Amino acid sequence: MEIDRRAFIASLGGTAAVGLMDSEAKADALEHWMEDQLDQQAAAQGTPEKFPTVAELEAQIETRNYRRGAGNVFVNTRGNVKKLAPMPKNPTLQDFFRLRFAPANHVLQSATRALKPGMSEDIILACLLHDCAQALMKADHGWWGAQLFEPYIPEKSTFGIRYHQTLRFYADAEAGYEYPDLYYRIFGQDYVPPPHIEATYKMLRNHKWYMEPRLVTVNDLYAFDPNAKVSIEPFEDIIGRHFKTPKEGLGNDNSPSAHMWRTLANPDAPL
Amino acid sequence: MRKGFLTVSFVACLAAIAAGQASKPTHYKGLEVTPLSIERTQNVPLLDCPPGSNTQRGNARAGEEFAVVTLAFKVTPAFKETVIKRPVLTDVNGKSYNTSVAIIDPGSLPEYKCSFPFRVPAGTKVVSVAIDTATLDLAALSK
Repeated sequence: MEIDRRAFIASLGGTAAVGLMDSEAKADALEHWMEDQLDQQAAAQGTPEKFPTVAELEAQIETRNYRRGAGNVFVNTRGNVKKLAPMPKNPTLQDFFRLRFAPANHVLQSATRALKPGMSEDIILACLLHDCAQALMKADHGWWGAQLFEPYIPEKSTFGIRYHQTLRFYADAEAGYEYPDLYYRIFGQDYVPPPHIEATYKMLRNHKWYMEPRLVTVNDLYAFDPNAKVSIEPFEDIIGRHFKTPKEGLGNDNSPSAHMWRTLANPDAPL
Repeated sequence: MRKGFLTVSFVACLAAIAAGQASKPTHYKGLEVTPLSIERTQNVPLLDCPPGSNTQRGNARAGEEFAVVTLAFKVTPAFKETVIKRPVLTDVNGKSYNTSVAIIDPGSLPEYKCSFPFRVPAGTKVVSVAIDTATLDLAALSK
């Protein structure tokens, strides 16, 4: 497959953003970009995509030397992991974005989409943070993300992050959310969400804050543009207003999730 | 013979007028909006309006299809930056359908085309699409 180098670099936020990425992150980004390009080509040719079944995906488990649910900082799907840049002494959210969540293009796109039509700052913040916990853990990332950020952000933002994971499985035409074919691809075309997700969905349908996670999913769906140019700058004020940055730095503040930040800061700790 | 010819001509004229009306622009908050086409499909790209290159796609379920309405937008000097509601499709029975595509940053380009997929029961006949108070007639384009 021919690689459009310029388009690929632009998709990551430009040469400056690429410069901050280690080789592992660049390789992962390239893999995702190529997958997306192939999907687009297939779609443009009108070729109906054949999605895998749950059984076919399960059959792939023992072909890998990692588990799909492991966080990005722990896994290199192409070889050895690389040494991570050290975190500053008192790390802030922006430091984690730069040194552990980068390129973070998807969450920045999602938050940008929430910002443009003037959604609430609680929603914009939730969109900005909704997938960041995937650096730590992909499986159940909504719950992990909510737990990671809960001590520092508004309750509605936490609610949006926790439950967007559930609502991603359920289309809502009223709110403008389609079930994505990405989920046919990664969960299987015959996938049925487990009982705890079904139960959570039923709870959410009757919850007064239903629209918080729903709007996160709506912006999530439209934030996979490989050519989008985004940065964290437009969100500095919102972070300043709503993210309670501890003066000791994230991980050093003895909050209920401080250990999670420390794990992100130093995922090479043997114990 | 002549009467038959006149009747055919009259019907042809009516069809032409109807087609002309369907592609007649409607003005809304400084945007000139013209309906271009309606297509039916099972799988659609999910692109905001104006469209970028989002890679996500939506799939219709059994018994459903997407009625994809393509609209042309022209930003006139009267346009001021504002939030534009998502279009709503109405069928021949008056039932309305939402789209997942949102109009984001409508003033970012002078002219653009956007395709809005509406998930409808297969074979649904549609009559119009509305953006807030502006209604665009689709009858002549409807298949």
